[in-house]
Amino acid sequence: MYDSGTSTLTNLDHLWLDISETEQTKYWQQSSAFSTANRRWMAYLNRLSLNAFLPWLRTEYAPDATPSPNMAALPSIWEVVNGTAISFGGIRLVLIPTEASDLSELRVPQEWVDIPSWSADYYLAVQVNLEESCIRIWGYTTHAQLKNAASYDEYDRAYCLDGEDLISNLSILWMARQLCSEETIRIETAPLPELSLAHTENLLQRLGNAAVISPRTAVPFRTWGALLEHGGWRQRLYEQRQGMQQQWSVAQWLQTGVSDFAQRFGWGSVELQPSFAGARGSAPAAALPTLVRKITIAGQEYELRVQLKDNLENNIWRFELRSATRGEMIPSGVKFKLLTEDLQPFDGNQVQARKPVEKLTLEVALGEPGEGLVWQTEPTPDDYQIEILYF
Amino acid sequence: MRSRQSITELFASFLQLDTDRVIGWAIDAKLRRNILNCQAQLPQPEESENFWVCYWYKVWQEAPESFAKGHLSAYLQEVCYWAAQKTITNVSSTQYSVSDCFQMAIVRVDKVLKGFKPNVGFSLKNYSSAIFSSELKEMLRQQQEVDICTNWRLLRKLTQKRLVESLQNVGLSANSISSHVLAWKSYQSLYAPQQPTGTRKLQKPDEATWTAIAQLYNAERYTQLPVPGPECSEETIEKWLLTSAKAVRSYFYPNFASINAPRGEEDAGGEYQDILPQLRQESLMTELIAQEESVDRQSQQAQISTILIAALQELDQEGQKIIQLYYSQGLTQQQIAKQLEVKQYTVSRRLTKSKDTLLLNLATWCKDSLHISLNSSVLNYISTVLEDWLKAYYSPSSQLE
Repeated sequence: MYDSGTSTLTNLDHLWLDISETEQTKYWQQSSAFSTANRRWMAYLNRLSLNAFLPWLRTEYAPDATPSPNMAALPSIWEVVNGTAISFGGIRLVLIPTEASDLSELRVPQEWVDIPSWSADYYLAVQVNLEESCIRIWGYTTHAQLKNAASYDEYDRAYCLDGEDLISNLSILWMARQLCSEETIRIETAPLPELSLAHTENLLQRLGNAAVISPRTAVPFRTWGALLEHGGWRQRLYEQRQGMQQQWSVAQWLQTGVSDFAQRFGWGSVELQPSFAGARGSAPAAALPTLVRKITIAGQEYELRVQLKDNLENNIWRFELRSATRGEMIPSGVKFKLLTEDLQPFDGNQVQARKPVEKLTLEVALGEPGEGLVWQTEPTPDDYQIEILYF
Repeated sequence: MRSRQSITELFASFLQLDTDRVIGWAIDAKLRRNILNCQAQLPQPEESENFWVCYWYKVWQEAPESFAKGHLSAYLQEVCYWAAQKTITNVSSTQYSVSDCFQMAIVRVDKVLKGFKPNVGFSLKNYSSAIFSSELKEMLRQQQEVDICTNWRLLRKLTQKRLVESLQNVGLSANSISSHVLAWKSYQSLYAPQQPTGTRKLQKPDEATWTAIAQLYNAERYTQLPVPGPECSEETIEKWLLTSAKAVRSYFYPNFASINAPRGEEDAGGEYQDILPQLRQESLMTELIAQEESVDRQSQQAQISTILIAALQELDQEGQKIIQLYYSQGLTQQQIAKQLEVKQYTVSRRLTKSKDTLLLNLATWCKDSLHISLNSSVLNYISTVLEDWLKAYYSPSSQLE
């Protein structure tokens, strides 16, 4: 609650939202794994802003609003860039929190404007005031406005707009959608280059070192943007900067359990078949658990299952998509596919339901250990972002 | 306060203030001469205040550095004074006098002129009153915050723009400012509070952190500075950061003495020429006379009030009650919540919803009657002036009339 001495100085055009001290402590604890004190602090500010703003947004305008791409992926963004995206009903907005007490400018990191899948319709200036336990949304702008009217700071790689040029009353965002529907909100963004596997490995090696304090300005923007846009690579970048070992090795999950990180993204394991007693040599597939991830496609719950066929030496894997409810069928048209780590197709990499089917199955024989695969479906699942499984 | 009468007074005199009271008006000689000069170009003396507001606003748009800003600044003296007065009486704890607040607000006249939209049916006085009040509130709020922070905390609580302006204000060169900014960025990258609350008293970084900050600065200067400059020691970085913090603090406390001082008769003797060519000045006046814009505006103001009063009456009982308590009695949202026995959240929500309804009504009227094409920026403008209209409508003095 803002204290009474200053509450008469409250600008009613702005949206003020409280955050309790209990919440502050909770979100602080949830923001522990970052490479520097500053990154942890920025993640904390983002988490506070998200948790104050999202419930308000859901109550007032958009019950279906969710963080984008999903809650589990946010730390990998906050480790390197300030800002949190929220999407609802085809609209995307980005919260840009700062602690600045002056309202002179809004600085939007270029990533949120020029990476095609990151760019948004609206950008909200959020002032976090920990001392008064509140946040205030003091203005917003649009993608078009940032591209047309903001100045670009080449050193900081940010679009900067004067505070005076923001729309200070958030209600106008919805009002303008009704009254001024012809207004241009968003401008098309140019696609970023595809990165080769070798180039990516090299980048991850360099930028994954936490001693590089500002990886976002250490390589050209288009290269950096392409690396970040790939959810699987961004996740690896984040994990490496925390000094962690490989978290996405499926072979390892089978032996020592699914990593904490993968669990946060929805992976788990189940024993589907009774294990054979007394097996020798390399573990037979039947003795190993099946890996399962829940996904939602077009409102339906599905399970993605990954299983080793035969044994680890052969390195042949079976991927299955099936309904989470026993007996439910996959409707015709649904496509299930696998791609290499750098998103290239290969022979027999996809299967489509021509009629309602019980399951969609793909089998892949992998060569070198450590090869990565990316799964996708069409339609795209809710909260989807690219993830890489290493075999 | 004596109210000003003639056009010359209205557009060329400035308030003289003691700490807490108005002493009188002082005429700026150059501005007065400029008015006489302009009057002389007209077939007959023009006594309409609105005519001159429109005229000088147009001149300002074409030549922001001309005398027009001075004339409009003079014109807005009372509005600014009353905004300062009202704001200060609502703040319980402040070390500022009305005079200080007036000086703080009047420097925002640029923002007023930049944001003013003459075709949207509100007067410059309405709009400036809204801006002066909100700017003043914001400045007082920020100062309270800055005052209780250590330098180290303060350095994490400002925008880059504010830092640059503060450093410019103390006269640093462009290159020196770039170095200070990079030192500040390096500091921010490596030093942050280590606890979720109670961070106002953030202390100086430890030695290891200073070493890291200096290292980062020295590495980044090759790519992050227009001129890399020499390698810097930890001591230099620390010195720059302290300079920055000091500059930011002094930027919050402008030197009041110099701001509103009119220029006396003594320098009126020399040749002067306004920036806008005389020919252009004349054609602007001719246009204005032909359009009779100033006449229209009077009746628009009355219509706006009619629309808003009708819209207010359309609100439900609770909505009306909350608006009234908030604007007429100046209660805070917490106090209203207490009085109505509802949550503060409900009050804030109802207030927002009610204002949205009024805004929607007014915007629709502007579109239909004034043929203004609506966009977000126009809506935002209307929303700003609406705030001022509500304050004026519910203020005790207007209800007596």
